[in-house]
Amino acid sequence: MIRELSFIDVLYLIAATRWTLALTAIAFVGGGLVGLTIALLRVSAVAPLRWLGTVYVLVVQGTPLLAWLFVFFFGLSIFGFTVSPWIAAAASYSIYAGAFLGEIWRGCLQAIPRTQWEAGASLGLGLAQQLRYIIVPQALRLAIPPTVGFLVQLIKNTSLAAVIGFIELTREGQLTTATTFRPFTVYLIVAAIYFALCFPLTQVARRLERRLHVAR
Amino acid sequence: MSLVELSDVVKRYGTHTVLNGVSLNVEKGEIIAIIGRSGSGKSTLLRCVNGLEPIQGGTVTFDGTVVNDPATDLRKLRQHVGIVFQSFNLFPHLSVEKNITLAPKVVKHVPTAEARQLAEAVLRKVGLAEKIDAYPDQLSGGQQQRVAIARSLAMQPVVMLFDEITSALDPELVGEVLKVLEEMARDGMTMMLVTHEIGFARKVANRVVFMHEGRIWEQGPAAATLAQPRTPELETFLSAVLH
Repeated sequence: MIRELSFIDVLYLIAATRWTLALTAIAFVGGGLVGLTIALLRVSAVAPLRWLGTVYVLVVQGTPLLAWLFVFFFGLSIFGFTVSPWIAAAASYSIYAGAFLGEIWRGCLQAIPRTQWEAGASLGLGLAQQLRYIIVPQALRLAIPPTVGFLVQLIKNTSLAAVIGFIELTREGQLTTATTFRPFTVYLIVAAIYFALCFPLTQVARRLERRLHVAR
Repeated sequence: MSLVELSDVVKRYGTHTVLNGVSLNVEKGEIIAIIGRSGSGKSTLLRCVNGLEPIQGGTVTFDGTVVNDPATDLRKLRQHVGIVFQSFNLFPHLSVEKNITLAPKVVKHVPTAEARQLAEAVLRKVGLAEKIDAYPDQLSGGQQQRVAIARSLAMQPVVMLFDEITSALDPELVGEVLKVLEEMARDGMTMMLVTHEIGFARKVANRVVFMHEGRIWEQGPAAATLAQPRTPELETFLSAVLH
């Protein structure tokens, strides 16, 4: 049944955006925790830990996010586990975002010269103290632009969760198109909503970067 | 027992031997200048004293504690052994005050107000009291190096190591840093300094140690050793440095 595209459809699209945001939040928090772990593993002084981090990044960056979603949602159910879409999405996105954030943050940590660690160590600071007071504050400033850049990618990549049943922004757009048959207008609106989410983020990142730079 | 004792220290990077059986004792209050060509192992020697460089043979002891013993708490040891680097290595994200007070606050748990006073005191020693709120990139090289010295002094070390601390400075800024060292020498600080400033070594050091090919090639009282080198290697080195 084809009906007219109306304002109520736009409201539905905006309402579906909350799932996009929820998925992004989960992916960012989960991915942040995994990413922090991976970044620390990758700069560890212990070789096997570094390898572990490297292998993780290689495997995850070399596999599609879609495959992880399928594995967790459909794959595990074959073995009798019923996985809710939320759990499957949280796991998949954390694994995926963790690899990329881990690499970004590792790069930022390693951009701080070795001599800064040494200066801290020479003053009697332990490894955790060197990280906390010397390395991380400097790395954080470097990390903001690429991290926000990745966050913007993440917002857009949440549309993949549609395959396991999430009716987020893109999926809602598909459904609206199916009933109204107005793909051009609908997807233009969808794109505008994505833009409205992403654009302010990049602006905030730029401002934050400037401010942190001034305040060191 | 000497304050710092190195005995038969061997340091290798892969197959390359940097220190090839170095033995050296440093008494309390002594000032030792370590000279030699680049690559002769003098910086490495210095960095072994506070355990920044793991060694492959021999022993390093500080005040009776074996530095290269894996059971030694290097953090505790380093509170007593200050080091100043060629490239300053100030923390660029922290003000001069925070650079100085970080370690006393975090490691020794000195309260903030007291730490600020401590920073003021050590900055006065290096003649930079008015720069307490500045950031490192607002300071000249000479000033940054003096802050680095102050930062080390704030931990009240028993011995200070100086690793070519004037080598990265413009010539006109060298004097202000050496002046600070002279004052520390007068205060009786035990110092080991790797330096290319032969004139300064002659004036301030009690003893000169000449490193060559990973060994202590020649050592002795500063003035005599520099005036009458006993080995041709030191003679060649001195004539090259002094033109």
